[in-house]
Amino acid sequence: MMEHAHYRAAVLANPHDTGAELRAHREACAECRAFTEQLLKFESRLERAMRVTIPSKADVLPFERKRGNAPPAARRWMALAASVLLGAAIVGGVWLSVPQPTLAAAVVAHMAGEPDAWQRTEAVPQPELADVLKDSKLRLKPDAGIVSYASSCSFRGYRVPHLVVQTSSGPVTVMVLVHESVLHVTQFASEGYRGTIVPVPGHGSIAVLMRGSGIGAGEIERIADRVDDSIVWTG
Amino acid sequence: MNDAAGGKQRRARFQALCQSLRPDLLRFAFWLSRDRALAEDVVQESMLRAWKAQDTLLDEAAAKPWLLTIIRREYARTFERKRFQTVDVDELIAKEEPLLAAVEEQDVNDVRVAMMKLPDEYREPLVLQVLMGYSTAEIARELELSTPAVLTRLHRARRQLRAACGEDTSQDPQE
Repeated sequence: MMEHAHYRAAVLANPHDTGAELRAHREACAECRAFTEQLLKFESRLERAMRVTIPSKADVLPFERKRGNAPPAARRWMALAASVLLGAAIVGGVWLSVPQPTLAAAVVAHMAGEPDAWQRTEAVPQPELADVLKDSKLRLKPDAGIVSYASSCSFRGYRVPHLVVQTSSGPVTVMVLVHESVLHVTQFASEGYRGTIVPVPGHGSIAVLMRGSGIGAGEIERIADRVDDSIVWTG
Repeated sequence: MNDAAGGKQRRARFQALCQSLRPDLLRFAFWLSRDRALAEDVVQESMLRAWKAQDTLLDEAAAKPWLLTIIRREYARTFERKRFQTVDVDELIAKEEPLLAAVEEQDVNDVRVAMMKLPDEYREPLVLQVLMGYSTAEIARELELSTPAVLTRLHRARRQLRAACGEDTSQDPQE
């Protein structure tokens, strides 16, 4: 008969091992059976522990457009080429994610310059909104919510749309940063704002902010998802 | 079917394949690096490499190990580029606290913290086995180790984890 130590070493290496020799020992030895049961309970914990929650934004593949109508093939390949260049830049040692904290800080700092933006609640006239959005080549779906503020703002050397959208969760500031490529979602909480910057493959990134430090990370992520889904890229 | 349509269909299938495998690949990369942001970067870069090399994947059933190997190589490359000197595990744990504490079950969180502290040579084969469903032989092939060496690492990994989580290890075999 197999020795206890040999059996236990084997099941520690693989608790689900169903080899005949191990099975025979387990059936014959109550102590090793109890040992295995204890180990399998721990294994269940281990399996759950390894299944860390993956943020939904991370589901976006680098070579995939994620929304709207399918783009023309040429544009899709341009997006792929841009992604490849981005990858090449990383390989070349330019770690593009490094400026992200600076980008988040710049977004928060921009809020301080336009305190009135949060106060408005009436819808911006459609022609005015279209004018702000046209250079960034996007429009909003009708169900995006009331856009109560729309301004083309100077931000890190570019004109970018700065919007306030009235959502069921309250007013949300959206900055469309087509010139700011980021590699992954960055959440931040600073100076009374909670926000996130999410990558938009082929279109830079968008920053989404709310006021109030009590807003949860999950909630801001959901709001950013809704905002992201309500954008239709036209170019 | 013409070439263009065939290519489009093949690409769509490849995208769907990557999408379905991505969560586990991200988890694998996270446990490899113990850094969510780095894991996302590594997987993103690996997906691009895979996309460019998709014609070399002859059997879709082999996609998972194929992608996983690309991720391991990409992580090694990233590691070389960034020239990490030392890793402060407590800092890593503090940084990833929101992820590690994402579940309400404290016993699971304890295992996650213990996993973060497990040496790389024990953590990686364990993740391959438990998360990715690799057999001992497959782990040995992927990590270029002998089968007995893999079994020893898996055995030690579980012993260390269980001890760190306060489990009764008095009945464990002595080495």
